[in-house]
Amino acid sequence: MGARPIIQVENLSHTYMKGTPLEHVALKGANLYVEEGECIAIIGHTGSGKSTLIQHFNGLMRPESGKVIIDGVDLSKKKVDVKTLRQKVGLVFQNPEDQIFEKIIGDDIAYGPFKLGLPLKEVRERVKWAMSVVGLDFEQMKDRQTFALSGGQKRKVALAGILALKPKILVLDEPTAGLDPKSRNELLEKIKRLNREEKLTVIFVSHNMEEVAMLADRIYVMAGGKDVLCGTPKEIFTDKEKLQLHHIGTPETVQVLYRLTDLGYKVSVDAFSISEATEEIIKVLHGTKEDLEDVQRV
Amino acid sequence: MKKSLTVRDIVIAGVLGAVAILLGVTRLGYIPVPTAAGNATIMHIPAIIGGIMQGPVVGLIVGAIFGISSFLNATVPLFKDPLVAILPRLFIGVAAWLVYVGLRRKNEYFAVCASAFIGTLTNTVLVLTMAVVRHYLTPAVAWTVGITNGIPEAIVGTIVTLAVVLAWKQIGKNKKSKISEDM
Amino acid sequence: MSSEFEISRSITIGQYVPTDSYIHRLDPRVKLLLFVVIVVAIAFNTSYIGNAIGLFLSLYLFWASKIPISYGLSGVKPAIPFIIILALLQLLFQGQLFSGGKVYVDYGFILITSESIRLVVVSAVRFIEIIFLSSVLTLSTSTTQLTHSIQSLLSPLKKINFPVHEISLITTISIRFVPTFAIEMEKMMKAQASRGADFGTGGWWRIIQRTKETFPIIIPLFNIALSRAEDLILAMESRCYTPGGNRSSYSVYKTLAKDYLVLLVGLLFAYLLIFYPFPF
Repeated sequence: MGARPIIQVENLSHTYMKGTPLEHVALKGANLYVEEGECIAIIGHTGSGKSTLIQHFNGLMRPESGKVIIDGVDLSKKKVDVKTLRQKVGLVFQNPEDQIFEKIIGDDIAYGPFKLGLPLKEVRERVKWAMSVVGLDFEQMKDRQTFALSGGQKRKVALAGILALKPKILVLDEPTAGLDPKSRNELLEKIKRLNREEKLTVIFVSHNMEEVAMLADRIYVMAGGKDVLCGTPKEIFTDKEKLQLHHIGTPETVQVLYRLTDLGYKVSVDAFSISEATEEIIKVLHGTKEDLEDVQRV
Repeated sequence: MKKSLTVRDIVIAGVLGAVAILLGVTRLGYIPVPTAAGNATIMHIPAIIGGIMQGPVVGLIVGAIFGISSFLNATVPLFKDPLVAILPRLFIGVAAWLVYVGLRRKNEYFAVCASAFIGTLTNTVLVLTMAVVRHYLTPAVAWTVGITNGIPEAIVGTIVTLAVVLAWKQIGKNKKSKISEDM
Repeated sequence: MSSEFEISRSITIGQYVPTDSYIHRLDPRVKLLLFVVIVVAIAFNTSYIGNAIGLFLSLYLFWASKIPISYGLSGVKPAIPFIIILALLQLLFQGQLFSGGKVYVDYGFILITSESIRLVVVSAVRFIEIIFLSSVLTLSTSTTQLTHSIQSLLSPLKKINFPVHEISLITTISIRFVPTFAIEMEKMMKAQASRGADFGTGGWWRIIQRTKETFPIIIPLFNIALSRAEDLILAMESRCYTPGGNRSSYSVYKTLAKDYLVLLVGLLFAYLLIFYPFPF
């Protein structure tokens, strides 16, 4: 493969409010390994430690015990250049539109690059690039007022604000939560493009299994502050026992395919992308592959 | 209090009260600028905004919430005295409202700025007056603090209030983005 | 200090400690009323004996509430430097105003008299008394009980059209939203730090720049607060909430004989502190 590890988390633990009556263990012995250019999904229930884990990636939290190595930088060392780290690892929080504070779109996206101390020309180029990546027209939108935007557009602006830092790694916490289906699909396409074409390493937290199946190269399942399962979507979604053990949902396609196997039909449950699943279902309906080709021709 | 409070008055007062409490119990309420105390407080700004948005009663209530919270959370003997911590705070929002209403016709921007400036000074002056009345400070010390702390604080208060009000009321000059033109 | 951003978890407002002492079981209205009356009484008392009684009373109440003493001390500890500075300032500069009594030191502008020493001691002790009293109140009474008590105690004022119910609703909303906004703020600080914000880098003398550095946090804070308010207004109006109506309450407090007894004793204490001419 030749790919090199860009994120390594080993045996990471974190306790909030240690030594007080409000003590709360968020992570205990979590591990994670990401190669450059991968797209990783982290799933798990509320309180499983996902958010705490991803906040270690850009140095918002420092390892209490265990190791976090980001692109060769060991975060357990005392002296870490967090500014460079945060430029390298773009972290997009849940509902990022709340963080827009400038009145004008262009200014808000330019906030990060200006903070990096870049010259105006470079900032302008970066904003232009970031806006084009998320699908906002630079000339038309740069001078518009931020408050007049729709929810989906605001989220694009917020994402552009992170992308303008030109990160190597993009970390997103439930990027599509609260979006309408159209904006949701648009955003997923953007993230996919960033990973495939702009070669960003992408890590995202999600509760939506369709999303996970569509985007992720590999999935980490978190429970009780630990990584309990890891593998490709195929490996994870076909492991029925483990799925039930950790109460993980599956994409609707997988649910349909499982139901079909239960009823005695011969379908392969690892065909969970919409098109593959359609093929499988049509196979069941018609019996042969030749029929399918007929259907497609029609 | 003839006119009864509307739903809007109640909710806005409650929410701004929450912001005042939050600013009071975290370090968010302090901006480190060169003053005698080393900080300018912005905890009183919810009371000013309450006065500007919803009138004197809401301003007074938010001020009272701010005062009670600062009394309960005080770690300085001065503010563990209800006459210093609570009483002066009742007037912040009222003063801000008076100024705002008086000047609104002329210019909205100017009215907000003046209202924030006077509102902040009301806080400083009344707290220091009570501190002197209650013998925590001598008049000389109070004057020094008032001038070295009060003026920067009033400037900070004005800038923050203006920014918040403009962002919320969604008004502002149709400026262009900083990155609009090439150098 | 595990993280520079942990604020929501360190907020201790309304930190109720259920130890089920008799202080906890007192009618919350009696507690609140006595708290206000005794704090005012302490604020007006300037005698040594009076404040010794007050100190004893507040420590006794703390002990009786069975709350670990560390909670009370955590309020006093950070204040010690302030107490000392205040004491020194008062001792050195307030002598002229309190020139009564015996003169101990008279050197230039410094005048230390028995009266100025009294001022120093009394303000320090008063501060400790009020810390302990307010800790007892907030640690032994839930916020719901407190807001109900405010409403109940103020209800006679309805006769003069004072908006009692509204005030109590405002208090409830405020207390309800503090933790919510704290969580939002913590997220906001992290989100802005993630895109390169750093606070307190501008030259320390540049007031305007320093102030503007807080905009990425302060403006979203107010925006979030006010838009939550809009949602709540809509929700309340669509359920036909009208201020000023007559409402019954789900929980009704009963004042028992022992509550009246405590009230009586408390009021007696307050009366003594304010009006009794303590000899010392």
